Amino acid sequence: MFNALQLQTLHAAIDRIIPEDDFPGGVEAGVADYLLRQLGRDLAHLAQDYPRFCDALEAEAQAAHGQAFAALKDEQQDDMLTRVERGEVQADWPLDPAAFFAEFIEHCAEGFYSDPGNGGNRDGVAWRMIGYEVKG
Amino acid sequence: MTHYDAIIVGAGAGGGVAAGVLASAGKRILMLERGPHSEFAQVPRDHLRSQRGSFYGHNAGPDIEGNPRTLEDGSIVLPHQRGYQNNAAMVGGGTRVFGAQAWRFMPQDFRMASIYGVPKGSSLADWPIDYEELEPWYERVEWEIGVSGTESAMTHLPPYRRPYPMPSLPPNTSMRTHLKGLEKLGWQSLPMPQFINSVDYNGRQACIRCQQCVGFACPVEAKNGTHNTTIAAALRSGNCELKPGVMVERIDCDDGGRVRGVNWIDDAGERDSATAEIVIVSAGAVESARLLFNSATKREPNGLGNQSDQVGRHLQGHYYPLAIGLFPERMMDNLGPGGGVATCQFNHDNPDVIGGGMLADDFIVLPIISWKIYVPRDIKRWGLPARQFMRDRYRCLGDIKGPVHEIPSPDGRVTLDSKVRDKFGIPVAHLSGTTHPETVRTASFIYDRAEEWLRASGAEKVWGYRPDLRLSGGQHQAGTCRMGEDPAESVVDPWQRVHGHDNLFVLDGSVHVTNGGFNPVLTIMATSWRAAEHIVEQW
Repeated sequence: MFNALQLQTLHAAIDRIIPEDDFPGGVEAGVADYLLRQLGRDLAHLAQDYPRFCDALEAEAQAAHGQAFAALKDEQQDDMLTRVERGEVQADWPLDPAAFFAEFIEHCAEGFYSDPGNGGNRDGVAWRMIGYEVKG
Repeated sequence: MTHYDAIIVGAGAGGGVAAGVLASAGKRILMLERGPHSEFAQVPRDHLRSQRGSFYGHNAGPDIEGNPRTLEDGSIVLPHQRGYQNNAAMVGGGTRVFGAQAWRFMPQDFRMASIYGVPKGSSLADWPIDYEELEPWYERVEWEIGVSGTESAMTHLPPYRRPYPMPSLPPNTSMRTHLKGLEKLGWQSLPMPQFINSVDYNGRQACIRCQQCVGFACPVEAKNGTHNTTIAAALRSGNCELKPGVMVERIDCDDGGRVRGVNWIDDAGERDSATAEIVIVSAGAVESARLLFNSATKREPNGLGNQSDQVGRHLQGHYYPLAIGLFPERMMDNLGPGGGVATCQFNHDNPDVIGGGMLADDFIVLPIISWKIYVPRDIKRWGLPARQFMRDRYRCLGDIKGPVHEIPSPDGRVTLDSKVRDKFGIPVAHLSGTTHPETVRTASFIYDRAEEWLRASGAEKVWGYRPDLRLSGGQHQAGTCRMGEDPAESVVDPWQRVHGHDNLFVLDGSVHVTNGGFNPVLTIMATSWRAAEHIVEQW
């Protein structure tokens, strides 16, 4: 579904949506695993769009900085994602950047905050972070 | 063909009670349920697919494939999507996964038209029975199904003749905080009555105070639905044959209006049928109406019991104003089920609005639901601010919400879609119209009280959701086969027998004329118990 560059871009973007602090960031917490699993199930209708989204982010990074998205500094990635969120893009996007980005945020949150049975929230790390304890 | 004393269509709150009453009276019953008869492990604790947060599907049915409905704009809607008006589809129905609030309606709830008058365009009406008539049945359900509560605190009701069989669960942090808010305001406060064992009861253990209650099945069966009480007893009696996973296609009725039995289809597409002395329809307000439509005969071409064009009308559920507060201290202490302190200060006697509603703090809010609905909209949705809000303040969120009286409209209704069919080939329900606009005014008034309560409880910031005009049904669906003396204005008589049919009954929320400012399940069970006992007495 994703080539190596697309996957690298996806991981870098996920870790800016849910960056690490004293708890793990999105990718380490399983958000990418959640997303890949869902793209074969409930989000199968987006299986083509997600690689296109990654390509578009990459094209945007090359247009603005002449570098791969994943190679940019955190602040540069955040600035670029902020522009995508506002729909202020330079590259040629095959999908609505702002609308897709809003969906992407929700998917990342689902992978982080929902139950580990859905493939993300590895070992309940997000629940430990926020203090939601499952007993019984 | 097998002949039974009774066939019950639907194993939810109403049908489940009917099964228990008829089986214990020695009647031979066939109970048909479209959903499965699931073990605990088969009702996943899936935070993206529960009856509480159905983002991608349901843990308790119906399947999102093969069970469509249609909306007024012509669109097809699936069970987990907005506008479907879903209720669980499994043995126990909604009671398997409900929040288990066990409210009696108030005496005024049965007399809304007399008290408030009927606004133009509304079908608001009085019930043909009153609180006094239903009171012994409320009590019966509280004891037989099992309710924990504090009867002395129920000051909005006439004094109880018999206490609750179990005391209220001890309060958690949220309840203690919101109790102080109510004391400050001088509003009535009470611990929410719940179908939850606070102590061991009826052979099942007490609640373990887990964090995944509403929307999920109980891991220790301390949550009392029909699946572990009346249906379990009916099955133990040997008088009840339960067929899960079958969809009833039509009720078979002769030219004189006498019902002979029902036809059904199983998941493999096989058709079968059985006959019975009586048929009880308990499929919920949307599906019960749909089955009556789909059972049309030459004599009743618009559906059984529908000579007066009343079947499917007056669909109602509950608008739920939700106010959220951010507190300086932690509110969430992981002591489930969570919600528990309520006020009935505003169910009636409010200035310039019709009815009102109970308000209460809510169950423990799942993290992903907190993210999607509760995080303030001025917090950036990604990056460190979003994460840090959840990390530092998830436990500091509190909420007050409640079910508001819906003012019914005859145009808020279920009809049959002539083109779209489900996976069995049966025409599906079409949903159209809205409740009466007065509902919005009542909901708005109640929303303001919810905000007031949060502020009194110490919230530093308050925001929320004020309901807009829409059609409502969902888990509290009611009203589509309303009860009444006059066949011109109702579908069933006060004993829930379908007008014009000696041996056809509706026992579920469909018969509610109005739906109270409360979760309706105790009333569904009480009316069903009363009607089922009457069926046995008249046999």
